[in-house]
Amino acid sequence: MSNVSRRAFIKAFGLAAVAGTGLFGASAQAQRRAAAHVVILGGGIGGSTAAKYTRIMNPDVRITLIEQNAAYITCPRSNEVITGHFTLDDLTFDYETIKSRFDVDVIIDRVVGVDPDRREVRTQGGERVSYDRLVVSPGIDFRYEEIEGYTAEVAETRMPHAWKAGPQTLLLKRQLEALPQGGTVLIAPPQNPFRCPPGPYERSSLITEWLAQHNPRAKVLILDPKDRFTKDVPFKKGWERLYGYGTEHSRIEWISGSQGGRVLSVDPERMTVEAENGMHRADLVNIIPPQKAGKLAFDIGLVDQTGWCPVDRATFKSTQLDDIHVIGDSAVCDAMPKSGYSANSHAKLVAHVIRAELSGFDPVVPTWANTCYSLVGSDYGVSISDVFELRDGLIQKVPDSGAVSPVTDNPAQPLLESVYLKNWHRTFVKDVFS
Amino acid sequence: MTSRQYLGLSLVLAALALQPAAARDIASGELLGQNCAACHGTDGREFNEAMPPLAGMETEQFIRAMKDFREGRREGVVMDRIARAYSDAEIEAMAAWFASRPATQYGSEEHE
Repeated sequence: MSNVSRRAFIKAFGLAAVAGTGLFGASAQAQRRAAAHVVILGGGIGGSTAAKYTRIMNPDVRITLIEQNAAYITCPRSNEVITGHFTLDDLTFDYETIKSRFDVDVIIDRVVGVDPDRREVRTQGGERVSYDRLVVSPGIDFRYEEIEGYTAEVAETRMPHAWKAGPQTLLLKRQLEALPQGGTVLIAPPQNPFRCPPGPYERSSLITEWLAQHNPRAKVLILDPKDRFTKDVPFKKGWERLYGYGTEHSRIEWISGSQGGRVLSVDPERMTVEAENGMHRADLVNIIPPQKAGKLAFDIGLVDQTGWCPVDRATFKSTQLDDIHVIGDSAVCDAMPKSGYSANSHAKLVAHVIRAELSGFDPVVPTWANTCYSLVGSDYGVSISDVFELRDGLIQKVPDSGAVSPVTDNPAQPLLESVYLKNWHRTFVKDVFS
Repeated sequence: MTSRQYLGLSLVLAALALQPAAARDIASGELLGQNCAACHGTDGREFNEAMPPLAGMETEQFIRAMKDFREGRREGVVMDRIARAYSDAEIEAMAAWFASRPATQYGSEEHE
């Protein structure tokens, strides 16, 4: 069926009639009309995985996904858009497969309110959607106010954060390409916790690699409020091997929190950055601000004084409001990093919890996993990989397991990790969006 | 007690004795296995990548591979680190679940 005729068919007979020929047959479709309604807010990695796996685990429920954008751009691999290895199109995924293969109603609209007493979601377009279970995956927002002079407008014009893949990623790419010969790139990662803990260091690495080829006298300066960062041992070893880190000719420099790396203020007109160790001028400034839960989480009332959403760890149910699960970067999840893999793992647990509750099964024994690969160079990868369990009410690493890549003299290790990173992204986006 | 009743009681006692003393509750093989999907494909059904498919794998082969990674008998890129997180019971639960998945590429069917 061509796109046009398929669209006409959907219009004439309704989405359900088309979807009913898919993974789950017409009889399940009929049963579902009276069945529980699971509504998912947010179509990022957490929300999309929740839609797919809620269907896999619960053939008979109704599922609706509400997302304000018609497509999602993955943050994973977006650092490679800055250096031209990828385009944003390569990283863009829509909701067509989730609709058709998993019989999910997808509403592209902005959520303007949730009434937890009536269990109803309202959208800007005027829809009222009632739910039995709500799954919210709101992502992150930024605490611009913690850096004097830095605002959303500055981020969109002079000093992009590019911490959600999209227009700012392309702005950063243009700024890198326009960097004067021998110029300085300044990258300022935030304090913990934040989305994608290795991301600032992968970005610094790939920009350093790009500059070595296109702008060999240029330098990268990282101003960090922290003394340690994730995978710092294998990252720094890679910087030594690839970029002369630790020597006077190093292309990359990292200033820790103890050395005064915390950024206090910026002046976008002068392109200066004031840190605890003094004033810096740069030709490209990438401020990655401190973070908090996504705006939707605040609007619904899911956030506590930490700026994040507390949940019962065994079920990812909000401790603020009943019948609402919070997953992904917004949720407080202890030892788990705020990563796409983590969000995917939260979503799968919630799909099992919903089945157990709706079907009267025993409570689910939780388990979670996270594996993050990062590039130190195009063919040099490092990783962190952990399995998590519930212990003393908190999400903790399973003892004596997991950890970051070992530093070895075997050149195959980082090469294979870079191959696995590429493998991972292709496979992961299928597990999330199709 | 008749011999038949005695036999019944013996079987019950034997079954009780087989249960481990204070076994930690483990997650289902399905949920454990679904957490592998991000790299190995939904249901372990990714057949075209560097990381191997797990769907349809013989249980003995899965269990041996995981224990070899865990005990350091087999070199891994990441699997040696990951395997150390799992008990025998968890490895067996995952093995049974992956063995039950069809050994075909995920998403290849027109109508799954």
